[in-house]
Amino acid sequence: MQLPLDLISGVLSFLFTVLILSYLIGDNPLFRIAVYLFVGITAGYVASVIWWQVLTPRLFSPTSSMFQTGAYEQAALLVVPWLGLAFILMKISPRLSRIASFTMAFLVGAGAAVIIAGALIGTIIPQVSATINFFDLNIAAARNINPAEVIGNGSIMLVGVVTTLSYFHFGARPQASGNPRRFIVIEFFAFIGKIFIGITLGVIFAGVYAAALTALIERISSLINFFGNF
Amino acid sequence: MRVFTAVIAIAVGLMVLFGYFFAQFTDIQTLLLNWAIILAGVASLVGIFNLIAVHTDKVRRAEKGSVYSALLVIALVATFVFGLILRPQHQVMQVLLNGIILPVEATLMGLLTVTLLYAAIRLLRRHADVMSIFFIITAVLIFLGSATLPFGDVPLFGTLIRPWVSQIWALGGARGILIGVALGTLVTGLRVLFGIDRPYGGK
Repeated sequence: MQLPLDLISGVLSFLFTVLILSYLIGDNPLFRIAVYLFVGITAGYVASVIWWQVLTPRLFSPTSSMFQTGAYEQAALLVVPWLGLAFILMKISPRLSRIASFTMAFLVGAGAAVIIAGALIGTIIPQVSATINFFDLNIAAARNINPAEVIGNGSIMLVGVVTTLSYFHFGARPQASGNPRRFIVIEFFAFIGKIFIGITLGVIFAGVYAAALTALIERISSLINFFGNF
Repeated sequence: MRVFTAVIAIAVGLMVLFGYFFAQFTDIQTLLLNWAIILAGVASLVGIFNLIAVHTDKVRRAEKGSVYSALLVIALVATFVFGLILRPQHQVMQVLLNGIILPVEATLMGLLTVTLLYAAIRLLRRHADVMSIFFIITAVLIFLGSATLPFGDVPLFGTLIRPWVSQIWALGGARGILIGVALGTLVTGLRVLFGIDRPYGGK
């Protein structure tokens, strides 16, 4: 049983790789068939994962065990998700879709709180601390790094952070000519920030390109191996 | 109804947020996030149902490209039914994952090599300003520092210039972008919590 499934997996992999690579000669029906099938299969797979790994353990199983054991005190904890589920399903009907806004409000409120905490605890505080710590001479001494090098590199990074943030400052005042213009210092900082953003995007581009090239080489290698096995 | 939805969003948001900073709110935060995960799962299923409805409608109207829509709907429904009966960990579902989903994702990623190269050339031809010039110069420096060339490594590029550019100059810009994005996210979240923005309906 194991061998045919591996063979089927290999044949499908080969077929879909060729169909997708056919895009290199231009948009064509074979590429579209592969992409539409990919979207359908992925959506179906994701739906089944949601059913078995989210809804079953968190909602269906607790409800079923509540009815089996008669522990109805747990019902209070399950009423809200069942009610939310019923409300959100109203979205399917255009007439009743307004009722779904209760569930959407719940989701948006919880999501807003999570992103506030994530932005604050996960990004702003660690990134600002890391920028400050770059000037820590004790850490540099422990890692045997020259203090001049620490201050030089830390200054470049600090200038990069400040000027990049300045680039995204869009507050402007109208001039005598009527055209809005940023404050001259912000304008200068924003120009330097443009250089840092260009450098950053260049590094990201090189990284993404290297990853894409690796993926392409792996796919071509898998095509060659597939023929090599026969 | 608009006031009631705003009250739900603000109350839920505040209780979840307090859970990050005060230990007394941790239990209620866990409960609310568990409910939010369930409801987000249901919302995703409704979204997938909407995908089916849109493409079924295209097939019914016999619009251009309806054959592709029919293929999408058949593939989606078949995969979902098999997934419900067999579960996602079953060998047959793993064949779909390893034989179709992962290879297509990897090949689409591989196609990016052509698209990205074309986009970089177009950028220089159409919009040659200080940012795009530094962008291209940096990309070339990084490639020269990391590529394995037939005649060996280019002196200094791999050992000195590439690490310096990527770990000092680019990191400064990346931190600025990250902090800027986080500040924007923070403000957006606070606007929702204060009821200024109500994306769930209502003005």
